[in-house]
Amino acid sequence: MTRLYAVALNTFKETIRDRILGVIVVFALLMIVASLWLGSISLGQEARMMKDLGLVAVSLFGLVVAVFVGASLLHKEIEKRTVFVILSKPVGRAQFIFAKFLGLAVTLACVLAGMGLFLFLADWIVAGSPAPLLLAATALIYLQLLVIVAVTMALSTVTSTILASVLGITVFAAGQLSRSALSLTEFGQSAAMKGLAWVVYVVIPNLNAVDVKPAVVGESSPDWALIAAWAGYLGAYAVLALVLASWLFSRKEF
Amino acid sequence: MRRVVAIVVVLVCLAAVIGFQGTREVNAAGDPRVFVPSPRFFERLAPSFRTTIADVYWLGAVQYYGEHVDGDRRLDSLPAMLDLVTTLSPHFIEPYLFSTFALVDAGEPQMAYDLLERGFKANPRDWRLPFQLGFMAYTYGPKETKAKAAAQWFAIAGKLPGSPPFVFRLAATLLAKGGEREKAALMWGQIYSQGDKYARAKAVAGLEAILPTEKQPREKALVPLYRTMPRSDFDALVADLVAGTTP
Repeated sequence: MTRLYAVALNTFKETIRDRILGVIVVFALLMIVASLWLGSISLGQEARMMKDLGLVAVSLFGLVVAVFVGASLLHKEIEKRTVFVILSKPVGRAQFIFAKFLGLAVTLACVLAGMGLFLFLADWIVAGSPAPLLLAATALIYLQLLVIVAVTMALSTVTSTILASVLGITVFAAGQLSRSALSLTEFGQSAAMKGLAWVVYVVIPNLNAVDVKPAVVGESSPDWALIAAWAGYLGAYAVLALVLASWLFSRKEF
Repeated sequence: MRRVVAIVVVLVCLAAVIGFQGTREVNAAGDPRVFVPSPRFFERLAPSFRTTIADVYWLGAVQYYGEHVDGDRRLDSLPAMLDLVTTLSPHFIEPYLFSTFALVDAGEPQMAYDLLERGFKANPRDWRLPFQLGFMAYTYGPKETKAKAAAQWFAIAGKLPGSPPFVFRLAATLLAKGGEREKAALMWGQIYSQGDKYARAKAVAGLEAILPTEKQPREKALVPLYRTMPRSDFDALVADLVAGTTP
């Protein structure tokens, strides 16, 4: 446990040293400029625009951190040869993967908490009343990004940093379309194609299921029990991706 | 020497980029025919981002309207844009209200009416939508029925939470104008019992205009109001109205 904690803490410090938290500053500046700009062109709808576009910005900024840092975590250790030092100690490869994931998860939590809180406060100022659902939406975006980190780490064990990043972004995009894959099973006569569409639906993480952006702008009322169940599903998916990453990493030869 | 050449090249390129871009006519209106994808396309493609896409198209529609309404007055793509926004985000009220005048400018008053009706179906608690429908019905409806149709919408709007008192008064006035004197009298009665001093004066004036001038017929015409108003309000209204009648 101490070893896991040590590697996780080191990963956290390492990513923070990479000025990852600068993302929050860029986000804050973007939101300030956007609120001034939107106020003049949205016919009085700046609060709605800020909520909606702000959450998209949180998703995208978070995705950039999750994918690019997640994809380079293992490669950096291998390139700098620090992985040999760590693995020569009584640290298993699976432990190493989980610790790296935890370290990045904490960094991502800091980044998303910063952006979410800033968005919450900026929206409060613009709208005149607080929207706690924004914080819930940010937390659920965090959960989506944890899955992407786990998947990207698994991919980075078998591909290059760049390819893992691209694939990570692709999985995020596909995760938003997961239901479309399911609807494909309704079309066509071929049982094989229907089966294939179903497999795609099951393999792609259903990130869309925990999305409450429409609810934040009053388009729907979230079913929290269902969202909690889907959150459990995403947690299990992340664990599976990490187990896969550990297995692939354990077979890797340096 | 190389450095000088490099600086000259950089300066020339910089001047070309800024000079060319800066001297383009930035206020020129764009093509009025903008490609607007089907709402179903976005519903399927990006369900998580449907409200965001609606917001982006909303900003686009406002810009598009502003760009063309004072210029070539061609708003070819505005109906499709507003349809897209309201389909992707049916509880976003502003585009429905915006459509009231923007689609009229685009030569599509019927579409504006249909869009408002759709908006009211999706948002039956928002008084602004039936109010705008009443306005549209009165402005663009057939001459014979427009007052009655508008009054019906205003009456619906007046019953919804948050509606200002004048909406109900407007409905009562239009009902009287459309020949529905009994309904108008009932509505004025409601305004009288729920309103302040100003509203009561308006209700008395409105009833004065539609009730018979003789005492007995007037009292008879006021009987239906008895069942719809508190006793004290009814007595006060009768006192106000019967005082100035001819015996």
